[in-house]
Amino acid sequence: MTPADAPAVQVERLTVVFGRFVAISDLSFSVRYGEVRGLIGPNGAGKTTLLDVLTGKSRPRAGRVLVDGTIDLAGMSEVARVHAGIGRKFQKPSVFEDLSVRDNLDLACRLHPRSLTREVLERGARKRDRIDRMLEIIGLTEQRDATAGALSHGQKQWLEIGMVVVQEPKLLLLDEPVAGMSDEETERTATLIQSLRSMERSIVIVEHDLDFVELVADAVTVLQDGRTLFEGSMAAARLDSRVIEGYIGR
Amino acid sequence: MRRPSDRAAWAGIGTLVLLLVALPLAGLGWVPGTALPIYAINLIGQVMCLSLLAIAVDLIWGGAGVLSLGHGLFFAFGGYLCAMHLLRTAYAATHELPDFLQFMGHGGFPSWWRLADGAVTTTLAVLLLPALLAFVFGYVSFRSRVNGVYFSIITQALTYTAMLMMFRNDTGFGGNNGMTGFHAIAGLPAGGLPATVLLASLATAAVLLALVLGRAILASRFGRLLAAIRDDEPRLRFLGYDTLWIKLAAWCLSASIAAIAGALYVPQVGIINPSLLDPSLSLEVAIWVTVGGRGGLLGAVLGAALVNLLKFWLTAAAPALWPFVLSLLGLLVVLALPNGLLDLRNRSRDWIVDLARAPLPLLRRRTVR
Repeated sequence: MTPADAPAVQVERLTVVFGRFVAISDLSFSVRYGEVRGLIGPNGAGKTTLLDVLTGKSRPRAGRVLVDGTIDLAGMSEVARVHAGIGRKFQKPSVFEDLSVRDNLDLACRLHPRSLTREVLERGARKRDRIDRMLEIIGLTEQRDATAGALSHGQKQWLEIGMVVVQEPKLLLLDEPVAGMSDEETERTATLIQSLRSMERSIVIVEHDLDFVELVADAVTVLQDGRTLFEGSMAAARLDSRVIEGYIGR
Repeated sequence: MRRPSDRAAWAGIGTLVLLLVALPLAGLGWVPGTALPIYAINLIGQVMCLSLLAIAVDLIWGGAGVLSLGHGLFFAFGGYLCAMHLLRTAYAATHELPDFLQFMGHGGFPSWWRLADGAVTTTLAVLLLPALLAFVFGYVSFRSRVNGVYFSIITQALTYTAMLMMFRNDTGFGGNNGMTGFHAIAGLPAGGLPATVLLASLATAAVLLALVLGRAILASRFGRLLAAIRDDEPRLRFLGYDTLWIKLAAWCLSASIAAIAGALYVPQVGIINPSLLDPSLSLEVAIWVTVGGRGGLLGAVLGAALVNLLKFWLTAAAPALWPFVLSLLGLLVVLALPNGLLDLRNRSRDWIVDLARAPLPLLRRRTVR
C-alpha cells in the first residue's frame, strides 16, 4: 500500500548544469498518486532533462528526488531506479526491432527483477497472461508475432508504452507519446493513457500537442528556462499571460 | 541480419555428423578403398578449428552486436596452454628440454609449468583462464560503457600488446620461435595417422557441439536479451536489466570457445608462435563471419570453411594474390550480399525479379528516392 499523502515523486530544488548551460535551475515539483501530469514548455525548457534526472541518465548538481516521500534516488543506478518503480518511454520509439512484439513484452515483463539468472530460466508460462493482457490493452494482439521493426510508427509507440507499463511502474514517464502520430492514432493513445490511470501510479507526460495534454492530463506544469512558469489546469494555463508570452503565444 | 532457416541449419548439422562418422572410417582405412590422405584429414581438422573460432566471434558479434577484433588473443591463449602440456609430456617421455629454454639458460621448466602436466588441469585451464582474462577485460570495458568501434579497437590493441609480449624471448614462452617439438598426443605419436584422425574428429565434434548449443542459446531468452542489446542497449537497461552481466556472460563464453579452438589447432599445425596474435588473424575472422553470414553461427562455419579452403589452395598456387582476393571477397559480400552467403537464395530471387523488371540493371540510372 502506498501512503496516500506522500507524493509519488517529489523533486526538491533541483539544479542541472551542462558545462556553462543551466538546464534546470532550482526546480521543485511533485506528482501525486493517481494523477496524470502534463509537462510542457518551449524547446530547451528542461523537460527531457528532468526525465533524464529522474531515470538516472543525467546527474543533478544540487537538489534531490524522492519517491514515495522516502526513497532518495541520489546515487542510484539507472537499473536500481527501474526497480524503485520508475519507467520511461523514450522520445524516439525504442523497441527491439529484430524481436517479435510478444518477445519485446516478454523481456520487459519481469517476474524476477532482482535475479538475471532466474529471469533467463523462467519458462514463460507464468508471463503469458500478463503479456496477453498487455497486448489487448495496447491493441497489438493481432500483431503479436510480427517483428517489432515491421510495425508502424504509432504501433511502435504503443508497444514501447506497453513494455514500460507491463513492469507496473509507480511513476510512468512518457516523453512525447504522440509525436508524429496521425489524429486517429493520437486519439487511440489518449484512450490508452486514460486506461493506464491507477491509484498506484502517477503518469508524467512531456508533449507539445497541447490539445492532447488537455485531454489526458489533470494538471500541467509549464517549464521555461529550467524553472516552473505555471502550475494548474491546462485551461487556466491557456489564459495565463506569462504562459502565453513565454510559450503558447510564441 | 537474417537467421539462417532451420532447414539450412539441419543441413549444416547433418554434414558435420557425416564428416564426424566418415573421418575415422575413411581416415583409418576401415572401409576399404576410401583411405583419405593424411594431408586432407589434417586440413579438415584445421578448418574445423578455424570454424570454431568463427563461431566464437559470431556468438558475440551476431548475437549481441559486439565486434571483437582480438579473438586471436583467446585462440592463442588456448593454443599456448595446449602447447605447454604437450611439451611437458614430451619432456616426461624424452627428458630433453625444449630448445628455447636451453637458449635462455634455463636448467629446467619454470615451476608453474607443472600446471600443464595433467590433461585434466590443462583442459580446465583452457576453459577457465582465457575466460578469466576476458572477464577482467570485459568487466572494465563494458562497465565504462565502451561500445561499438571503440571496443573493437581496444580488443585489437590488447591482442597486439600480447603479441609484443610473446615476441620477447625472456618471458619463458618460446619468444618469436614459439613452441614446437610435440612428441605425442594422448599417447599417439604426433603427426601420425591415428593422432591426426583423432584431432580432426575432436575438432569436428567441437564445432558440432558449439553449433547446436550456441543456436540453442541464441534461441533462448538469454539469446533474445543479447539481440535486445544489439538493437537498443539503453532501452534494455531502462527496463531494469544490468546489461553488463549479460554481455560479460556471452563474452566469456565466446572467449572459452575460442580457446578450445586454439587448443585443438596447435597440435594439428605442430607449432605455436606469436603470429597467431597478429591482428591480421583476428581481422580475418570477422571477414569469415561476414562472408558466411552473421547471427546464426552456421554462416560462421560456412564462411570460415570456404575462405580458409580458398586460402590453403591460393597461398600455394599464387601466394601474392591472397590479400587482394581476400579484400575483394570481403568487399563483394558487403556490397552484394550484406547478410552473407547463407542469404544467397533469398537475394538471388530478388535479383531475378529485378532483372525481369529492368533487363539491363547496370545501365539503368538509379533514382534516389
